[in-house]
Amino acid sequence: MLTRWNDIDRTFAALDEFRRRMDRLWDEVETGYEGPVTATAWPRSNLFDRGNELVLQVELPGLAENDIKLTLNQEVLTLSGERRRDVPEGYSVHRQERGAVRFSRSYQFPCKIDPERVTATTKNGLLTVTLAKTPESQPRSITVKAQS
Amino acid sequence: MSTQNQIINPKERARESVAGRPVVAPAVDIYENAEEILLVADLPGVTEEGLVVRLEKDQLSIEGRMDLPQPGTALATGFRAVDYRREFVVPKGIDADKIAATLKLGVLRVKLPKVPALKPRQITVQAG
Repeated sequence: MLTRWNDIDRTFAALDEFRRRMDRLWDEVETGYEGPVTATAWPRSNLFDRGNELVLQVELPGLAENDIKLTLNQEVLTLSGERRRDVPEGYSVHRQERGAVRFSRSYQFPCKIDPERVTATTKNGLLTVTLAKTPESQPRSITVKAQS
Repeated sequence: MSTQNQIINPKERARESVAGRPVVAPAVDIYENAEEILLVADLPGVTEEGLVVRLEKDQLSIEGRMDLPQPGTALATGFRAVDYRREFVVPKGIDADKIAATLKLGVLRVKLPKVPALKPRQITVQAG
């Protein structure tokens, strides 16, 4: 984290700032906030189990469907793409926190999936990949018979 | 116009939790040209209905609610639904009535046009 020099001048303000950051530290841990965008932390994703299928949720703000590449090789799904720094023509830059990243992330799933039944959609900067499980890895219920 | 120091107020980035949802400051880019200041913010998962961009005096605030469906049992969690919030101090000379915002692919763009008096203009020199 950056230290502002005027905070050091004012010792008490610096202590205050320190306390504030310590307070916030746990918020960041709890929310899973991974800080500024870096190539290793990006993109963030969630995986859900919906019984017959797995659902992968990925945060990809600013990426259109053409910018996202998904490949499925055996059991491994690889998500790759690139977010370019879209500095508009003729503008000067005051602040740039949104990183330009080229990323590749691979996922291995806890059960077998049917490669023919994988669908992906993007909406509001969120990518949702739905992966159907193969029949043998779907949950099944076993009826309990009473013995008389 | 030195916008860098004016538009960002670090104190305004403090988080505050509301209704159990964590509040985070979205990543922001700020650009400027002769005509306007352009603010770009990453708000993945935010819909138009969940987004409020407000200008009060010289304070521009962005508040977005991430709409994150929970399709089933979580096996691995890399992020959770959050509320995005960030405030900016808008420098003088911005035409408040002409501020325009668009939301596309989870990215918000706010255009803050400068009032005509502040735009640079070319003065033609006439031969006397």
